Amino acid sequence: MSMKELDDQSVMDKLSDIPSDLSTAIRSAWRGRERGLAVFAGVFLASLVITTVFAYGVGLSQSALQRGLTDEVYDAKVDFNSESDWTTRTNDSAEWSAVCDELLDREEIIDCGLVFGRQGIRLSGFFDEAFAIPQPLNAVDADGPTGNWDGVSWDYPEALENGPSINGDRILRIVDSAHFDGELADRYSDRILYGSWPESVQPGINPVILPSKIASQAEVMVNDTITYLNLTYVTDSQPSGSELTDCEGEVVTRVIDSGGYQFCSVTMTLRNLTIVGVYEEWPFTNPTLLFNPVIVGDMALSESDKTALMANDHGYLGVAIDRSLLPTSSTDDAADWLEDTKKELEGEGYGPDEEIEIRYNDLIAGSLVFFRIFLGLVQVFDYILMIPIVILSFAVLIYGLVLSLEQRKREISIHRVIGGTERGLRGMVLREMTAISIAGWLLGYIVALLSVPLILDAVGFMSFEKGDIDLNPTLGVGYTLAVFLLTVGIAYLVARARTKDFLEMEIDEGVRKVTSAKKPRTWLHVLAFLIGVFASVESYIETSGGWGPIGEDGIITGFFVDSLVALLGPFALWIGGALVLGRIGGAAPRIVLKIVGWSKFVADIRRGLRSSGSNESVDRLAVILLLTLSIVTLAAVQGYTGTLVDERTASAQVGADIQVQFEGPVSEDVARQRVESAIANLGVDAIDDIDSMTSVGSTFVAAKEGGGLVPALVLFDGHEDTLIWDEQAAPWDSYGGNTVTIGDSARDFFEIESGSVEIFLPTFTPVLTGSGFEISTTYTSANLLYIGMHEWVPGMTGAESTQAVLMGESTYRTLAGNATVDGHTSPRWFFEVCDQSNDDCKDALERLSAELVNIQGVSVASDWNSAHSEVERNGGLIFGTQGLLSLQFVVASMASVASAFVFLSLVLTQRKKELAILQAIGASPSQIIKLVLFEILAIVGMSMGLGILLGLGIAQSFNGFFDIFGFIFQIFLGSQATVDRTLVWPWMELAIVNAVVLVSVVAALLMVTRRALNSDLAVVLKGE
Amino acid sequence: MRGFHVSNQGPHYILQAEGLYHVYESSALDGNVVALRGLHVKVRSGEAVAVVGPSGSGKSTLLKCLGGLMKPSAGDVSFQGLQINRLTGQELVRLRQETVSFIFQDANLLPDLNALDNVAQPLRHRGVSAAASRRKAQGLLDKLGMGDRSNGMPAQLSGGEQQRVAIARALITNPKLILADEPTGALDPITSREVLSLFAKLHEEEDVAFLLVTHSREVASFADRSLELREGRFIAQHGNDVDIADLSSTRALIIDETGTLTLPPEILTQLGGPGRFDIDPDGDTLTISRAEERDPDGDIAPVNLTLAAECPACKHLYTDDAQECPSCGSSRPMVPA
Repeated sequence: MSMKELDDQSVMDKLSDIPSDLSTAIRSAWRGRERGLAVFAGVFLASLVITTVFAYGVGLSQSALQRGLTDEVYDAKVDFNSESDWTTRTNDSAEWSAVCDELLDREEIIDCGLVFGRQGIRLSGFFDEAFAIPQPLNAVDADGPTGNWDGVSWDYPEALENGPSINGDRILRIVDSAHFDGELADRYSDRILYGSWPESVQPGINPVILPSKIASQAEVMVNDTITYLNLTYVTDSQPSGSELTDCEGEVVTRVIDSGGYQFCSVTMTLRNLTIVGVYEEWPFTNPTLLFNPVIVGDMALSESDKTALMANDHGYLGVAIDRSLLPTSSTDDAADWLEDTKKELEGEGYGPDEEIEIRYNDLIAGSLVFFRIFLGLVQVFDYILMIPIVILSFAVLIYGLVLSLEQRKREISIHRVIGGTERGLRGMVLREMTAISIAGWLLGYIVALLSVPLILDAVGFMSFEKGDIDLNPTLGVGYTLAVFLLTVGIAYLVARARTKDFLEMEIDEGVRKVTSAKKPRTWLHVLAFLIGVFASVESYIETSGGWGPIGEDGIITGFFVDSLVALLGPFALWIGGALVLGRIGGAAPRIVLKIVGWSKFVADIRRGLRSSGSNESVDRLAVILLLTLSIVTLAAVQGYTGTLVDERTASAQVGADIQVQFEGPVSEDVARQRVESAIANLGVDAIDDIDSMTSVGSTFVAAKEGGGLVPALVLFDGHEDTLIWDEQAAPWDSYGGNTVTIGDSARDFFEIESGSVEIFLPTFTPVLTGSGFEISTTYTSANLLYIGMHEWVPGMTGAESTQAVLMGESTYRTLAGNATVDGHTSPRWFFEVCDQSNDDCKDALERLSAELVNIQGVSVASDWNSAHSEVERNGGLIFGTQGLLSLQFVVASMASVASAFVFLSLVLTQRKKELAILQAIGASPSQIIKLVLFEILAIVGMSMGLGILLGLGIAQSFNGFFDIFGFIFQIFLGSQATVDRTLVWPWMELAIVNAVVLVSVVAALLMVTRRALNSDLAVVLKGE
Repeated sequence: MRGFHVSNQGPHYILQAEGLYHVYESSALDGNVVALRGLHVKVRSGEAVAVVGPSGSGKSTLLKCLGGLMKPSAGDVSFQGLQINRLTGQELVRLRQETVSFIFQDANLLPDLNALDNVAQPLRHRGVSAAASRRKAQGLLDKLGMGDRSNGMPAQLSGGEQQRVAIARALITNPKLILADEPTGALDPITSREVLSLFAKLHEEEDVAFLLVTHSREVASFADRSLELREGRFIAQHGNDVDIADLSSTRALIIDETGTLTLPPEILTQLGGPGRFDIDPDGDTLTISRAEERDPDGDIAPVNLTLAAECPACKHLYTDDAQECPSCGSSRPMVPA
């Protein structure tokens, strides 16, 4: 075949070359894998991190969705639509039930039943007046042959505290027999604590299922009966100010959102009810749903009752959908699916003539709206949090690419000599890079998807516990494509630009006489570094509450500039610091030589060292080590700090293993007896007895006789063993020997910095006078030793703690006398019951707190483990953030070890010739190894030290940022964490990571240096 | 190719270089290194020319400049009348793809490709399909007795095998000129002879021109003529009976277009060293003889110098061997003893 024939290739020939080109690229990538490792590592890291962040968002979304689904039994309420208003629709409950049957024909609907409860919602408002006006059925009174129904409080203020201001009374829900089997029955059954959900209609039995608190207060059990239960329903309403006429019941005024409303409340009586079950109360999660109703079967209603309720808009169809059909990929997808379902259902006609239209009020979508707002905030925080590691991965990619191209200089020259064009060679390099990048992307993608469930299970930094929700986050095509483009795409663009520059330089080498190297923009690096250092100092001053003459607002007081510095400062410090300090790291051999140059140990390598550390590759090694190790430090510091903040928050909230609030003040014996009774009822091995208990008493003291009163808290004996103290809470956990601490807000009263302080305890005595009586105040006082300021007291709110004087039992005895102390009663007691390092203990605590609510006289019981889980999800930081920081820690640690290995290998391969020359002129292998070891270890050691320092600075600098977001989430979720975000320095973990890096570096060094020394000198020297 | 400057020297020369200078810039104390000093060279189509000379005479630099791998500091290089210093990068690449091939002492194979793909690579760079490139490469390897080693990776091949693969790679584009730098330098004598017979066959049958840089008598003998390079200048030309060990027996000195004549060191020694000479041209004959010494103390005669006893600036009298005046800091001059 002539050259002309060979040159004339058809398009088909060119197409048929694609597989050959690809296979060559893959083979070349595999054969040159050592040089491609850094590129692979960069893309792998980027893919791992970006996929994780996206998949984590999906996981959060799934979790929110699943949690949202458990909030309510019904997935939707279905109402009849009518053209004018609901008053014109049918009151025939049979006709309603018929529509239920028609709905069940659809694939999505798996159960449906008639419910009498809250009035229908005609307007789709959210937390507005129109949303709040429709009223529920309220339970108002009951009595029965057993128990103590007079002790039941039908008020339910928690409903108002945790949701919109609809109604502060206990609600009631009446369900038809369709609820006794199928999906709805299953969902109700899941909550039953005692007894069971009715499985069928039993003749002569009108079933009632009570919330545990009502059952506890009424002191009734399953199978007890209720003679009557009065409920109210609303027949009419209007804004206060005008007369509500024709009201057959009682006119009740309620405050709704902006103003008062009058409701005509009519009483209905249900008789002869049988308690068939008691259920554990739902947590207050979705405020759009009403909480914890008394549930009654509709067989207790007469037909006229049903008609009356229906006529006044208290009826609706409760629907269960097949939740397995709900897309779990994200809340967005789920919301879309629900919207489509709603449209389809509302678009159809029902009834014999298809004349009935329905309104489908989707409850899941309502929950999702709430979660989506929260998740949006969480994700913004997480994206910002993960920026450093994404930048790091691209830095590894770019540096790796440059080094790998430099390694191919000779190969490129050969191609050039045999006629390789710039375009052809670029294509060749890019195909190889793309093959490596795709492998890196794929591996990162898979590892990320596998690790996200673990991240979502994080209960602290590097601490994971399987949650009760199964999550399987996967990414849709769009997100997968986005990750692909962000990793392989960017790698391709970077590779293309770098390869173009490189090839142009290589190909023009013979033609261009002088190639000017780009000078690094030192001034920019230094400027970024200085801004970062400033931001770090500013953050330190602000978190320390001022420094010297500078106040707690810091050096910059303007909000905008201050926020800008807080947000950009950490990144400026990180990147500027790495670039500036990287040069110091690169110059380490010369610096160290200046220090130890006198030593005989370096005598034979002194000359070799003088010129070392000056090349660009060595600087890059130092910069990469600085970047990776500073992230490791940042993640470890912030991760451990966050974990501790969360634990401290839980400790501050609950105070001990279990905190029990009784309905009124009780003595130690009574409190003990009640809790022991709950433990006995529970019957679990993990908790067999009370290990210790205490109470924190409340009183008032004054700084002088007749002076203003200041709240005081008394720590009774046993608090050291019971309360979970923390060094941040108070300077001293033993308050014996007449010692006292004072909260920040109360210190002004006593004007003391140190030493002793006289404290006065007032006693108020009523004294009869001629016209009545007056209060006589007497004081006892004691000189107490002020040992410092306490931040918070376990189990007390932030305000209670900071406004109070805190003293021990012995001090209180001095002031108040033995009789007062011995007769102490309190509505709040704390108990230590098991060892929390044992997982069984944690589960048992949760069950004990649920059990305690059923004990007579117990109002609220909270356990540390539940509080901690809540805090992890809602409080001190954000749900899963510790997991993300753990991921960052692991990834950056791996990256530092891997990049030390890869970059060192590349750097030393580049210096193969230099080592060969040294050998050729008579240097012994041991001298060369010594030279290389000294040089590289000086660089690595210096970079490590600087990396940790930089990381600590970044951690400090990031603290302001964490504080801001933590604060936003606490506000959003109503958490009352009062704990300061004081940084924790996990030296041991940092030492381990750095030791591993050092060992890897030495291993890589020895391996690569030996390989260089073993290679044929002639070949090495000639080949260049 | 558009925009090429066509030399007026006629197309029968495949390669011409005129006034070729190359200076390696250096920051060393002894300054820049002049590797080529105004070389002129012409290679006819189908001619084989060897460049011989001692190490450091500039042979490799010359080859790089002639092959367009390096731009000379001054002078022109033309291929078939096309001046390569006026070619763009792309045009230069096309020249390498279609006209010139290189063979190095070190085979310079691509380490990650097997023998077959190494040979096929120049055609792949030309855009020829993989299958067609490989077919032609396999044919060449068969021709060179390497057919059964075509899947071997460079590291698995012996030095001779690698060089044969490199030759096959150089031939695959049907070049008109092969530039070879010590092509048998890394080979044993038997393999060297095989390679040379291959060159001879190509030279005779395909009319391929060669410019070979060599230290080998056998390689030089293969060439139609040899140019002797010393200190960056062609000083003589030899026929194909050149004896590398004794160049004087076959040497014909060159006086180039600028009239420069450089004598090899042994002739200069025979003449009694440097000095001034009278010349007597007579037709094709040039007779040179040492000129009569008019000034025996001329500037090339050695002079005994000693350190000045007195500083010329401040008149300080030196009492020791100081190089600098302790009084005014002037350098101490040397004066005739």
